[in-house]
Amino acid sequence: MLVCWEWLNEYVEITETPDDMALKFAMSGLNHEETTQVGSDTVIDLEVTSNRGDCLGHIGVAREASVLLRQPLKLPAPSPAESASAASASIEVDNQFTEGCPEYTARIIRGVKIGPSPDWLVRRLKSVGIEPVSNVVDITNYVLMECGQPMHAFDLSQIRGNKIIVRAAEDKEQFEAIDHKTYELDSQMVVIADAERAVALGGVMGGVDSEISETTTDLLIEAARFTPLAVRRAARKLKLHSPSSYRFERTPDPAGLDWASRRCCQLILELCGGELEQGVVSDGAKAQTPEEITFRLNQVERVLGIEIPMADNKRILADLGCAVSDAGEGVLSVSPPSWRTDLTRECDLLEEVARMYGYEEIPENVAVPIGVAAPRPKDVTMRRARLSLSAFGVDEAMTPSVVKDGQEKLGSLWSTGEPLSVDTPLLKGAKSLRRSVFPSLMDARYFNQTQAIRNAELFEVATIYMPGQDGELPSEKSTLGIVTAGDLQRIKGVVESILQEVGAIVCTWEGFEHDLLEAGTGQKLSVDGKTLGYLGLVSKSAQNHFSLDAAVAAAELDVMLLTELLEPVRRANQVSTFPAMERDLNFVVDESVRWASLEELCLQHGGESLETVNYRETYRDTKKDGKGKKRLLLTLVFRSLERTLTGEEVDKSVQDIVNVASSSLEAKLLA
Amino acid sequence: MDLQAFLTALDELTKQASGDFAAAGDSEALEAARVQYLGARSGRLKDVQKQMGALPKEAKREGGMSFNACKTKVQAALEEATERLGSGGATVSDSAIDPTLPGTKLHIGRTHPITQTIEHLKDIMGRLGFSVVEGPEVEDTWHNFIALNIPEDHPARDPLDNFYLTVAGKAVVDASASEARLLRSQTSTVQIRVMENTPPPVRIISLGRVYRPDPPDATHFPMFHQMEGLWIDTSVNMAQLKSVLRLFATSYLGSDVSIRFRPSFFPFTEPSVEADFYWNGSWVEFGGAGMVDPNVLKAVGYDPEEVTGFAFGLGVERLCMGRHNVTDIRDLYRNDLRFLHQF
Repeated sequence: MLVCWEWLNEYVEITETPDDMALKFAMSGLNHEETTQVGSDTVIDLEVTSNRGDCLGHIGVAREASVLLRQPLKLPAPSPAESASAASASIEVDNQFTEGCPEYTARIIRGVKIGPSPDWLVRRLKSVGIEPVSNVVDITNYVLMECGQPMHAFDLSQIRGNKIIVRAAEDKEQFEAIDHKTYELDSQMVVIADAERAVALGGVMGGVDSEISETTTDLLIEAARFTPLAVRRAARKLKLHSPSSYRFERTPDPAGLDWASRRCCQLILELCGGELEQGVVSDGAKAQTPEEITFRLNQVERVLGIEIPMADNKRILADLGCAVSDAGEGVLSVSPPSWRTDLTRECDLLEEVARMYGYEEIPENVAVPIGVAAPRPKDVTMRRARLSLSAFGVDEAMTPSVVKDGQEKLGSLWSTGEPLSVDTPLLKGAKSLRRSVFPSLMDARYFNQTQAIRNAELFEVATIYMPGQDGELPSEKSTLGIVTAGDLQRIKGVVESILQEVGAIVCTWEGFEHDLLEAGTGQKLSVDGKTLGYLGLVSKSAQNHFSLDAAVAAAELDVMLLTELLEPVRRANQVSTFPAMERDLNFVVDESVRWASLEELCLQHGGESLETVNYRETYRDTKKDGKGKKRLLLTLVFRSLERTLTGEEVDKSVQDIVNVASSSLEAKLLA
Repeated sequence: MDLQAFLTALDELTKQASGDFAAAGDSEALEAARVQYLGARSGRLKDVQKQMGALPKEAKREGGMSFNACKTKVQAALEEATERLGSGGATVSDSAIDPTLPGTKLHIGRTHPITQTIEHLKDIMGRLGFSVVEGPEVEDTWHNFIALNIPEDHPARDPLDNFYLTVAGKAVVDASASEARLLRSQTSTVQIRVMENTPPPVRIISLGRVYRPDPPDATHFPMFHQMEGLWIDTSVNMAQLKSVLRLFATSYLGSDVSIRFRPSFFPFTEPSVEADFYWNGSWVEFGGAGMVDPNVLKAVGYDPEEVTGFAFGLGVERLCMGRHNVTDIRDLYRNDLRFLHQF
């Protein structure tokens, strides 16, 4: 809202400099954007929040100033002279759409002379950014900027059938506005029509047919109320935003129609000549009187945390235009003024007294009761995961929650369901919500490749989205995605180290085939039948899709399951002071034998003193062992907490393992 | 073997070993020499020791003493050589080590600056007694709008200002429908979810991604992070709000700061304010705040006559950018390692 300093002073004597006043406005609710000079006029730009439609005119701003400065408000009292002929003989108003236009009023002026506006009027309009058109149009704009009520002047000679009909537009009705563009309307929009056709789009813009021209002599002056939602829909849909629609969306004073109409007519008579016909022709309901609000003094301290004396509360509310009366000890009955449609509840009044009494009166050093807050298990889990990944040299990325169009076809490790998408792309060419994090990391890796940064190893903790049950919200999952150089053992080592850090998690590993992963390299890890995650080398086709020039390995873990497995507090185990004894074993087994089964067998049968089973390597020698055989090399470490072990007892444990391995896995021990 | 021959052999051995050890130019050569003379299995000293058994009985004592003396000498020569090649090497050529040469660089990964900021915020708010909560990013209209006192005719609900989900591939026609789903436009949704399921008191912060259709530029991105705080109890007031914000800002900025309130408007708080903090000689925007609107309290089943509360929200990116001198928000989501490695 551009406010002309000189204009503002017409309604209230501003005893402060423009800069000081702008700060006062900012501290009481009208945020100061900037102050400029337009010619010799000082203009301050105030941001008006959407609840304060009353401040979208100079008078509203002056009213705020008058409360802040305790200066009287001086308002014009328009009483234009009327001729003997009744306006009702010239025009009939039929309001058929009160949902969109609760009240419509018209006045008739005959015999005006269209011409340029006087200099003072031109200057004021220009100062607030409005270009002059002609005296009548300028006056409607002047009244709009004065009191915030949009006005419209029709050329009465173009209103056919002496009739104004307020109605809903017909679907696909065509309408040519003053801007000479044709708009297609719908049935939720308000149309002002004459007996034959639409002459204005209610609250938004006038029609080209009935606009004021140089030859216009007779006028119909419209002052009406339109419902905010109807105007907003129309303005949005037609992309036709005007100072009028802006104000109707924010509710001008519902009881201010008559004042605005009289003010407009008076200025026209003064500046354009002509005669005002008697009376106003209207159809619709008068604005309802705002309801009384009970204001309890004890609520001031309860909500604001400070005491404000009753006298100050009363004064502020009265100065703001409320009718205030006592209603018992510490209780007021308050009737807000018609222009403050935002004041409907006690808490609204508390805000009024707070902002006018001054928020600086609220202290910033009161005692705050202490409370305790422990970190969530998820925070602890992710802190450990991030620390591990940092130590491994993997950097954290943050990527958008959507994937580029086309990428959604690559599928997801987690779901075979259809991807969700938003109706407007979140980013250009990206509207599908991701079902997996690591494709986004592939993109980030590619971006680094284009910057000549090779082998960007990245991770991200983020949400993935899958369709939910009918009527339910989508199913969201927090996952940890990782991409590293194309080294299967490295990515697996990274994942295993994270599991170790989070809580010595023991999981089941099995092969996993997916288009995103190179055949034979995919692995799924699970705990108690629940999938904890996946890893593998990224398939050549996926690698090509992301234009990556080197092989990539990827992993993705379920953060919530990881969190469930968190060992929040680590417990010490006794560390043995006795020496360890090691035994290297070299088994020849069938290719189908998995390391995990051999490892488990060792742990089961190696006796109490078997401390660890360390995998060394896999070796194949088809000449010596035959086809379909492999050698698994491992080291057993034995140690006791209580004593030094003897070679004999360790050898016996090893023999037990060898025996069981031979019988259950057909493993042959090489000497 | 007689004693004299044995002693001669010992002398010979001592001389040769000392010469070879002294001549060794590097540690490999020295090790080879060590094995040759002092090797545990077949070193020459071992060989000589074996010959001791062939000495006449009366010569054994002197032979043994001489052998030990020889062994000591050989070991001393070895030690001297070892010292010469090891630490002593530096004295030979001080200039061979260039102290200005760089060490081996170790690559350490970095957490994202947004994560660092979020952890910082959680840390401070945790000390002020606020627990962290999370909620879904895809929301229904009840939690994103209605319960937050944003009525159907409010511009905030416009499809153009939100990311509504498509249903069966089609855009949502009626954004007010209860089954409409959208990417949350604020983290206040989580506060509603917590209040719906928890009796007062409630003292929480919700953190996470939010989405608004702003075309990306230096200061806007359609996805960003918010932190919202909420405190509901029987006697929470605006002075406490101001005090909590001051404690927060003081901790975040590391020195005493002042807070000011400017009136504002949000549907879910009344009174509503913009909070600024005074820092380095000017007022800096902190975020929106206010007392929870009674309609919000009613929507979650609380009695506004029984409890009051305050709420505040701030943009994580703005704090992060201000703190780390990031001038373009898009840099945060490009994931250029050169950028990420600065934090």
